[in-house]
Amino acid sequence: MDFYIVVGIGIAANSIAVLGTFMLTGMNGLFSLGQAAFMGLGAYISAILVVNVGLPFAVAILISMLICSALAFLVGLASLRIRQDFFALVTFGFGQAVIAFFQEYVSVTGGALGFSNIPNLTTPTLAFVSLAVGIFLVWGFRRSHFLRDSLAIRSNELAAKVAGINVFKHKMIVFIIAAALTAYAGSLMAFHTRYVEPKMYGWITTVTWIIIVFFGGRDSLTGTMVGSILLLMAPELLRFTTAYRIILYCAIILIIINVRPKGLFGTWELSIKPLLRLFKRKKQEVS
Amino acid sequence: MGNELLRVENLTKRFGGLCAVDCFCGTLEANQIKGIIGPNGAGKTTILNMISGVYPPTTGQIFYKDQDITKFQPHKINHLGIARTFQNIRLFQNMTVLETVKTAYSWRAPYSAIETLFSSPRVQKFEREIEEKSMHFIDMVNLKDCAKSNAQSLPYGLQRRVEIARALASEPTVLLLDEPGAGLNQTEVRDLVELIRRLFIDLSLSILLIDHRMDVIMQLCEWIYVQDFGECISQGTPEQIQNDPIVIKAYLGEEINNA
Repeated sequence: MDFYIVVGIGIAANSIAVLGTFMLTGMNGLFSLGQAAFMGLGAYISAILVVNVGLPFAVAILISMLICSALAFLVGLASLRIRQDFFALVTFGFGQAVIAFFQEYVSVTGGALGFSNIPNLTTPTLAFVSLAVGIFLVWGFRRSHFLRDSLAIRSNELAAKVAGINVFKHKMIVFIIAAALTAYAGSLMAFHTRYVEPKMYGWITTVTWIIIVFFGGRDSLTGTMVGSILLLMAPELLRFTTAYRIILYCAIILIIINVRPKGLFGTWELSIKPLLRLFKRKKQEVS
Repeated sequence: MGNELLRVENLTKRFGGLCAVDCFCGTLEANQIKGIIGPNGAGKTTILNMISGVYPPTTGQIFYKDQDITKFQPHKINHLGIARTFQNIRLFQNMTVLETVKTAYSWRAPYSAIETLFSSPRVQKFEREIEEKSMHFIDMVNLKDCAKSNAQSLPYGLQRRVEIARALASEPTVLLLDEPGAGLNQTEVRDLVELIRRLFIDLSLSILLIDHRMDVIMQLCEWIYVQDFGECISQGTPEQIQNDPIVIKAYLGEEINNA
């Protein structure tokens, strides 16, 4: 397969996970430091179900998403009522526990050696359409009262509660949707790289997503997606700098965050309305 | 009394060794403005925080329409029809006045999170509905011209009105106002008193007002509770309060007779 398409599939799948982090950390200010564990769970569960159990790909993905949603519910139950810094700690612990589970439960997961022989079922079409659908879903979510509630909770939780918003329920909904999206991204990745190992899903992956969200702009879906494509592509683009590429990568992020503290795009959103208006005007001119 | 809305019995709050409120009892009837006055640290805001569910009382009970709401969460209490404002204004960052007021309608949304994901037409229909309703309340507090501006960039006096509009958008029966006059100058206070009186009449609200400024309370309230060091030292009509020696002592200090 063409190198660019292979890279593209990886970026598309990871961007779906970034969408989850965007909802959770960007919109709601909830720092889940174990978010990559949901990707790992999605990847392992769907891979095991297809390879060892022989279930169809789609069913396996669905089951992995359901299991991750249920787990998010349980983790949320224990962590979403407490202060936000403790939420970060609890999710961090959850993430590490999941990775330890992958490593220790060798008979099923293959342990530290990883789980291989996964068929290549993530086609380019599937990956790109999935990302488009993912963006559509988050876009719809943001056009409802949930965006207002998110911003309200992020900036003043007490005032949000007193305005009648069920803060706990709201956070739970967001956490579950984010987990399901991330699990889906994990399944796509697993059937793309055809191999999974525990250390792919550590906190470094989670932090990378959080950096992407703040880089692109936590208040802009467009910005987050552009940031996601740029930053996920950067390691490939900067490959010519060989060993220095991590330093260069960090430098770019530091510059952007210092020059534009609200992220690359701030609150700007790509909108089709101006385009439509332009189109209408042209039509009128013609007639 | 048939039209009694809110009743608190022996409300007590202790923070460690400090007794912020000691055995406060009181009622609020339909279409009534009552006030609580007292010097700083008298426990006025604590009473309001307990009624609105911000923190639970150490002992005592709160009844709303004969339902025990003592242990209810703040949002649940809001849903029942008790809205409040804050003394230190609590608005949301990067939100316009209109958006701020709209947040009060979120819990009434008829659709689920799943429907929003798939951009159900019901979402936008609801948005249009609440936009109209919110504008109505923004108009009521005379902020129509600022509806599209950032709420936190407004002058202090107007920010307070945004908070009142947000509380009104909950369409409450009981409105709790926590020191609405704090930080306002004389003209702004006069406008505010006028506004509260108008809201009281137009929306047939029941209002519980807290302030340490005599002028605001005396002009508005029919009945006043006087708090001092966590205890309710007196209650009565404005005239009774103004002539009560205990209240005068608490506010101005004792007269020295043997000078």
